[in-house]
Amino acid sequence: MSNKYIITLYTLPALLLLLVLIYVPIALSGYYGLMDWTGIGQMQFIGLENYANLMKDEKFWASAGHSFLLGIFSVLSLLLYLAVSLVLVSKIKGSDFFRKIYLIPMLLSSVAIAQLWLKIFDPSNGMLNKLLEMFGVENTPVWLADPNTALYAIFVPIVWQYAGFYILIYYAALKNVPEEIIEAARIDGATPLQIALKIKLPMISAVFKVTIMLSLVGSLKYFDLIYVMTGGGPNGASEVMASYMYKEAFELNNFGYASAVGFGLLVICLGMTWLTSRLTKSNDDVQY
Amino acid sequence: MSELATDRRTTPNLSAGEGSKKSYWSKLGYGFLYLILSAFAVIQIYPLIWLVFFSLKSNQEVFGMSPFSLPQDPQWGNYVKVWTQGNIGVYFFNSVWMTVLSVFLTVILASFVTFAITRMHWKLSGLVLGLFMVGYMIPLHSTLIPLFNFYNTIGLIDNPLSIILSQTTFNLPLTIMILLGFYKAFPREIEEAAVMDGCSVHRIFFQITLPMTIPVLSTTAIINMIYNWNEFVFVNTFISSDQWKTLTIGINNFVGQYLTDWGAIGATLVISIVPILLTFLFLSNKIVEGMAAGSVKG
Amino acid sequence: MKKKAFSAVASLALVGGLVLGGCSSSSGTSEDSSGSGGDKTVVKMMHLWPEGSAKAQYTIVNDIIKNYEKEHPDVDIQTEILANEQYKEKIKVLSASNELPDLGITWAAGYMQPFVEGNMFAPLDDVLDGGLKEQFVPGTLEAFQTDSKTYGLPLELNIAPVYYNKEIFKKYNLEVPKTYDEFLKVVKTLKDNDVTPITVGNKDRWTGSMWYMYLADRIGGPETLNNAINRTGSFEDPALEKAADELKKLVDMDAFVKGYNGFSNDEAKGYFMNEQAAMYMMGTWELPNYTTSPDVAQDFKDKVGYFKFPAYEGGKGNIDSFVGGPGVGLFVSEASKVKDETKDFVSYLVQEWGKRSVTEAGVIPATKVDTANTELAQMYIDILNDLGNASNITLYADVQMSARVADVHLNQIQALYGGEISPKEFVKAQEEALAAEKK
Repeated sequence: MSNKYIITLYTLPALLLLLVLIYVPIALSGYYGLMDWTGIGQMQFIGLENYANLMKDEKFWASAGHSFLLGIFSVLSLLLYLAVSLVLVSKIKGSDFFRKIYLIPMLLSSVAIAQLWLKIFDPSNGMLNKLLEMFGVENTPVWLADPNTALYAIFVPIVWQYAGFYILIYYAALKNVPEEIIEAARIDGATPLQIALKIKLPMISAVFKVTIMLSLVGSLKYFDLIYVMTGGGPNGASEVMASYMYKEAFELNNFGYASAVGFGLLVICLGMTWLTSRLTKSNDDVQY
Repeated sequence: MSELATDRRTTPNLSAGEGSKKSYWSKLGYGFLYLILSAFAVIQIYPLIWLVFFSLKSNQEVFGMSPFSLPQDPQWGNYVKVWTQGNIGVYFFNSVWMTVLSVFLTVILASFVTFAITRMHWKLSGLVLGLFMVGYMIPLHSTLIPLFNFYNTIGLIDNPLSIILSQTTFNLPLTIMILLGFYKAFPREIEEAAVMDGCSVHRIFFQITLPMTIPVLSTTAIINMIYNWNEFVFVNTFISSDQWKTLTIGINNFVGQYLTDWGAIGATLVISIVPILLTFLFLSNKIVEGMAAGSVKG
Repeated sequence: MKKKAFSAVASLALVGGLVLGGCSSSSGTSEDSSGSGGDKTVVKMMHLWPEGSAKAQYTIVNDIIKNYEKEHPDVDIQTEILANEQYKEKIKVLSASNELPDLGITWAAGYMQPFVEGNMFAPLDDVLDGGLKEQFVPGTLEAFQTDSKTYGLPLELNIAPVYYNKEIFKKYNLEVPKTYDEFLKVVKTLKDNDVTPITVGNKDRWTGSMWYMYLADRIGGPETLNNAINRTGSFEDPALEKAADELKKLVDMDAFVKGYNGFSNDEAKGYFMNEQAAMYMMGTWELPNYTTSPDVAQDFKDKVGYFKFPAYEGGKGNIDSFVGGPGVGLFVSEASKVKDETKDFVSYLVQEWGKRSVTEAGVIPATKVDTANTELAQMYIDILNDLGNASNITLYADVQMSARVADVHLNQIQALYGGEISPKEFVKAQEEALAAEKK
C-alpha cells in the first residue's frame, strides 16, 4: 500500500496538533531558556548562560539522579506486572474478577492516592508503623520525613499507581496472541509455563518494549505525587527533575532557568530512550 | 471474512474442562496462587473502600484516627455539601462531555496515524513516528505558558475547545505508542487479502482494522479516559469561568486559604469515580469480547 | 457571531447568578446584567475564597460586589475563584502573558516584589489619600510598599500565638510558661508522661520557621533578624546562631511530634485537634476552629487556650513582640483598562471588608476594628487586645525574603529540624544566600 493522499489524510490532523500544541511551545520554551526572565515583565537575552549553569547545578543533577532511580524501579516493576498478567490471562477461575479488581487503583486521581499514602506513611497514626509496632519494631521510621527514606518511600505509591496501567496493556496484548498457536503448542505437549515463556512472551515483545520506554520516560518526567506528598523534601531529598523545574518556574520566579531545566529533562529523556532502544534491539520485531 | 464482530459467545476466560485430573501438588500450588492473588486483590480494592470511609469523615477524624477506622459518625452531610455548594452538576456534565470527546478524538486520530505508519510504506514514516515519540517526552509544565499565549491570541481562553485540543494532543503520543505495539503483532494477512480483493484503504481501515483492534482500542480508551477525567492543569490554566470547569476543579473548591474540607473532597472524589468505574467495567469487558471477535477462527 | 453572543449572555447570566450568591434562583439581577451587558464597565477580579472551603469570605466578597453594583449600575464585577495553590500558579501564567485580572490578591513583600519590578501592579497611594490610609493598623501597609509606594491593600492581619490544650496542662499540673525555662520544663514534663508536647507540620517549612523566628526575636530582639534580612546586619549574628542552637535542643529533646518534617500543616494540626499533642503554634487564622466554627465540637473548643511565646532570660526581645503580619492584600493591575473604576471599587471593598470580616468570617482585617460595637468570642477580644499592645510584629521571614532566599531559609529550617546541619552551618548558608543576592 502506498498512497500519498491517504497517508497525508491519515497523519496530518494528528501531526498538526502535535506541532502546534507541543512542538511550537517547547521551541518557545527553549527560547525562554536563553533569557533572564522572572516570568513577570521584561526578559533579557543572556545567551547560553542558563544552560551553562544547568550543567554545573548540583541540585539539578541530584534530582536527575532521583528521577533516574525512579526509572529503574519502574522498569523493574514491569516484570512483576507482566507476571501478574500472565497468570490472569491463563484460564484460571476468577481471572476476570481479579483483573478488574487489580485495575481499580488506576482510576483514582493523584489527590486521592496522595491522601491515602500520606495516611499510610503517617509515623504515629499510620498503618505502616502500626503494623511494624505490632511486630515489635521499636523506633519505627518516619518515612517521608527522613531524607534517607523519603525518596524510596515515595517510589512505592508511584510504582503502585501504575500497576493497573501496565497490567491492562499486558493483558490486552496477551489476549491478542492467537488461540491456535497456543492450542498447537499444547497439543505438542508444552507445559503452561513453557507456553507462557516460549510463545506468549515473544509474541508481545513489541508491546513490552513500548512499555519499557513508556515507563522510563514517564518516570523521568514524573511530577504529581512528588509534588503533592513531599514537595521534593525534606530539604530536596525527594526532588525530581520535573518538580525542580516547577519550583524554579512557579515558586522561585526563575522562568528562564526553568525552561532550560525543562530542556535538559527532554535531552535526558531522549538519551535514555536511545540507549534502551539499543539495548533491546537484539531480537527485534517478532512477527507472524 | 467477518464484516463485523458477530461471534462473541466464546468465553475464553473460564476454566473449561481443564482441571480433570489434577495432582495433589498442583492443587496445593493453585491454592497458594489464589492466596497471593486474593491478597493482591485486597490491596488493590482497599483504596476504594478507604475513599468511601474518608468521604464520610469529619476533618478531625480524617487526621486523628487510624486511616483504617470506620467513620464514627458518618458525615452524610459531606455529600449534601458537595451537591449544594459549588456547581458540581455543571462540573460533572463538563467532565463527561469533554472526556468523551477528547477520548474519541485521540483514539481515532492515533489509529489513523498508527495505521499509516505500520501498514503503508513511505519515506517519512520513521520521522513522523519519531516526532510523536519525542512528543511524549516533553514535560507538560514547559509548554504551559506558551500554550496559554497561543490560546489567548486565537481567543480560545475560557473556551472548552482549548481543553479538548490540549487533552487530545498530549495523549496522542502515548496512545500511538501503545497502538504501535499491538499493530506490530497483528497479523497482516487479512488486510493483505482485502487489498487483493480490491478493497479501498478506507474500507480496510474502517471495516477490518478498526474492528480487529477493538481490544487495544478499549485499552487505550480506558487509559485516555482516566487521564482526561483526572486532568487538572489545563482546565485550571485555560478556563476561568465556572461554566466550563470540570470535576477536578470542583475538588479544589474545598481547599481553602487556611482550611481544607477533607470530607467534602472525599465526597467529590467518590462522586467523580463512579462514572469512570462503570465505564471502565464496561470497556474492560470489551477487551475480552473484542478478542473473540477479532480472532480468525472463521 | 450568534454563538459569541450566546456565550456572552450565558456568562453574564452566570456572573449574575454568582453575585446573587448561593443557589438562589431569583433572577432579577441576572436579567438586568444580561440586558445591558454591552455598555457596562467590566471589572475582572480573581480571589482565592471558594465557596466550599471559605464560605464566609466568599459570601462577604459577593455581598460587597452586589452592593457596589447596586450603587454603580454601570459597573459589572466578574469574579474568578481558585484555591490557594492554583491561584498562585495561575497568577504566574497570567502575568507571564501580561493578562492579569483588573483586581486580584497578592501576598506581601518578597512575593510582591517581582510583580512591582515587572511593572505589573499599579501604585495605590492615590486610593489611600483622603482618609483611607489612617484606617489601616500602623505597619500593615508597609509590608506592601516598595520605594515608599504602596502596591497592595492588606486584608488580613495575623499574629502567631501558641495554642495549648488546657486539659492536658491541668492533668500534669502545668502552668502557662512565662519564661523560656518554664517552657522547657513544660515540654519535659509532657515528654516524661509520653504526651507529644508540640505538633508542627514542617513539610510546609514556614511552620517551623515561626518557631525559629520567635527564638531569634526573644534572644536577639526584633531588629537582629530583620537587619540580617535587609542587609544592615548579618545572619551570622551570635543571637541568630544561638536561636538555632535552642531550636536544635528542642528537637533533641523530642519536643516535636514524630515525623514533623513529613507532615503538612493540616496533618500536624490533626494531632492538636485530636488532643494527641499539647501545643501548636499557628497564625490567628486558626481562631475560628477554637471559637465559632460549627465543625468543631464545643467540648474541644473549651479546652483550647493560647499564650504568648515566653520571654528568654537575658534576651533582648520582650513577650509582647509577635511573629505575624498582614496576610493577603489586593492589587490593581497596571495594565488594566478600567483602572479608575477598579481603584474606586478596591477602596470600597477594603473598607467594607474591614467592617465585616472579623465578625462574619473570623478574619482579623488590617484595618482597625471597633471592638466596642461588635460581638466577638472572648479569644478574639483577647487577641485584638494583644495586637493593640504589641510592641512589635515581625513579618514572617519567608515573606520578607525574596523567593530564592526564602527557599534557602526554609530548606535550612527543615534541615535544622532534621538534625542534618549544625546551627553554625544553618546561619552560614543563609548569610551566603542573602549576601549573594545583594550583589
